[in-house]
Amino acid sequence: MRAISNKDSLENPEGLVRRLVAQLRHQALWDSLSYFSPPLLVFIYIAGYLFHGAWVGSLTFFLATLISIGIGLLAVTLRYRPLVPSASKASRLIDERAGAKDRFLTLATIDPARGPAGLVARLRAETAGFLGRIELQRDFPYKVKKSFYASLIGSVIAALLFHLLLPVAHSTFTSLPAHERLREVAKKMAVRPRLMEIARSLQSLAAKLEDPKVAREEKQALIEETQKKVGEQQKKEEQKDDRDLLGQAASTLKNLEQQSGAGQDQQKNQEKGGGGVQNSLPQEGQGEGKPSPGGGGEQKGEMNAQLSKDMQQGKTAQGDPKEQSGEKNSPKQGDGESNQPDPNRPDPNKPGMEKGKDSAGKTQGGGHDKGGRGKTSEEIPQGAPPADRFHQAGEQGREGIKGARYVTVQLPEEAAAETKGEKGGNKDAKGNRVGSKVPVSNVPLPAHVPDAPTETQQMPLEYRGIIR
Amino acid sequence: MDPEKFQELFHRLESEVSKVIVGHDDVIRKVLIAFFAGGHVLLEGVPGLGKTLLVKSLSQVIGMSFKRIQFTPDLMPSDIVGTQVLAESDGRREFQFKKGPIFAHVVLADEINRATPKTQSAVLEAMEEKQVTVFGESYPLESPFMVLATQNPIELEGTYPLPEAQLDRFFFKLLVAPPSPAELKEILQRTTGAESADVSRVLSADGAELIGGMKQLLRQVLIAPPIEDYVVRLVHATQPSSSNGNPTASPVKQYLRFGSSPRGAQSVILGAKGNALAEGRVHVSYEDVEKVVYPALRHRIILNFQAEAENVNADQILGELVKQVARS
Repeated sequence: MRAISNKDSLENPEGLVRRLVAQLRHQALWDSLSYFSPPLLVFIYIAGYLFHGAWVGSLTFFLATLISIGIGLLAVTLRYRPLVPSASKASRLIDERAGAKDRFLTLATIDPARGPAGLVARLRAETAGFLGRIELQRDFPYKVKKSFYASLIGSVIAALLFHLLLPVAHSTFTSLPAHERLREVAKKMAVRPRLMEIARSLQSLAAKLEDPKVAREEKQALIEETQKKVGEQQKKEEQKDDRDLLGQAASTLKNLEQQSGAGQDQQKNQEKGGGGVQNSLPQEGQGEGKPSPGGGGEQKGEMNAQLSKDMQQGKTAQGDPKEQSGEKNSPKQGDGESNQPDPNRPDPNKPGMEKGKDSAGKTQGGGHDKGGRGKTSEEIPQGAPPADRFHQAGEQGREGIKGARYVTVQLPEEAAAETKGEKGGNKDAKGNRVGSKVPVSNVPLPAHVPDAPTETQQMPLEYRGIIR
Repeated sequence: MDPEKFQELFHRLESEVSKVIVGHDDVIRKVLIAFFAGGHVLLEGVPGLGKTLLVKSLSQVIGMSFKRIQFTPDLMPSDIVGTQVLAESDGRREFQFKKGPIFAHVVLADEINRATPKTQSAVLEAMEEKQVTVFGESYPLESPFMVLATQNPIELEGTYPLPEAQLDRFFFKLLVAPPSPAELKEILQRTTGAESADVSRVLSADGAELIGGMKQLLRQVLIAPPIEDYVVRLVHATQPSSSNGNPTASPVKQYLRFGSSPRGAQSVILGAKGNALAEGRVHVSYEDVEKVVYPALRHRIILNFQAEAENVNADQILGELVKQVARS
């Protein structure tokens, strides 16, 4: 029966038009599907990726997938409906292909009751004569539209961008404080019965980390303990989702442990060198900036600012003997690492790194107060007009040298002595080094830059006699 | 009437007229289409192109009565429609209606633009109503009735251009172009030799009945609704006032003062039907519409001053419209 009806439609012009309409409808549907499938698949892939990476929960993933499929279907429908061909459009296509001069169009669209039966019959007979010229599959094959390729390329680019931007997003996410990250993980674990206990441990750890009263050692111990628990649970866990969560917690705890270790090292360094580096542990990362032992960066900064002002005004720097304890951090008088890059040494470009300048000023100040070898070399002769080489800052020399500043010059043997850690320097009653035996000259420097670091250089041997 | 018979008769009429008219095949076909559609034709061309001969030949081949009226400025309406004359019969004197030349099947109104508007308007009623009224009494015209008017596009001094209302009553306006060299040679051979070609009558004594059947068949030709919509859009697009949002608005708004009347659309459809039958089809195609849209609409769209100043004619504007109005 079905075969007969197909045969009828093959021999009937109206049937051919109907078949073409159906074929074009399928093609339009396929076009719409192919247009929206790539972005839909990419969206679901992204959602799945985020779900497997434990960025989103299963509910969010399923909801997002369902909503995206719904939106996709709606979009397909909206795009498909205008593309559905009418009988007149399909018959025109056949007319154009068969050269039937609008016979199919007329037959497909006229109301047979309105026209004379004889003429309609004649038109049908004429049109049937053109049926042999048309083969739907051959004459109207499906062709992939350009819009599909555009959609595909756009979707692939979107997926690639997602993968490229994910690390950025990840770093943004992980830039949260450690205790916040722990809380996030704990929140996710809390909904899983088997991880409830771990979740509670993480919550309490986060609370402890946040509490400034809790001692560092205690925090460290808690971190290690929780890490052990997580590790044990991780070994026991079989479900992938739970393992992922535990892995996330372990990673956060590991980071915490590393930070804590680094914080301890920094503390040691601070105790040793009085640097202003702060611990990155949460209780010390609140921006309060506890003053480090041995002199805070702020104090030094203030002093340096004052010193700069004085120098601009043409005065010699007057170092405060009380603050000379900070000289311990001075690279030239340090623990023999002055010529080596020190990882704990603050960056000279950062505000905290103003100790170098500071040390220069203090060196001069110390020399002035305490006298000694440094004093003779630094003092400007009284009364007599200053020699070219001893102009004060702001004074103009014979050759028009103006705005001269001071530079610390270190003799090679002194530098060698300091490298060996010799105690050649002057010390006050408390054992702190005061003043400097390093002579200071007023070699002109380029235009004055207020915050420029003080230059320290070794003096070449051939100039030693001249300076002295 | 059988479509095949219609086509056969149509082709015989065409070929007979073509015996005396060299070239102008399209004009001959369009005149015949207008005739079977029941319309009147305005032929425009310079003198000497065979306009009068064409009309005369047509009347001969269809075997119908033919009258020629030479329109001049002093021509009176009564000279066309007829008048009451005092006649004496049986010793009694009474007014009798003396029929004018309009009472014929085919009337040639030669140089119609030379007559005064008063006289032109006398033809108006005859063309549209197929009757004339004299002294309050109406006299029907015989069927078939067709007016073929000619006008000369040059020597316009002392002429009275046909008003728009009268122009609208013409089914087609056909432009008779000068012959090509080959056609001119053929004209010379036919007219300057010893033998002269004569046309023979195609339709027999029952021609009027036959013509009636052909007219009826023409109106039965099938036309698809999308093609009707196309004609509607095309004619509607000629309206400068109703072309808002229409992409075809630019040439229409720029050059047209008035668009086509509904009679224009009727002419297009009937003309397309006639063309389809002439080509042996019982349905109208888009091609049929595009073939008749120029003669059917060129005299129905009124150009503005800018179009005249820029030497833009109606056919150019219609060409743009045909290009721009999409087939549905």
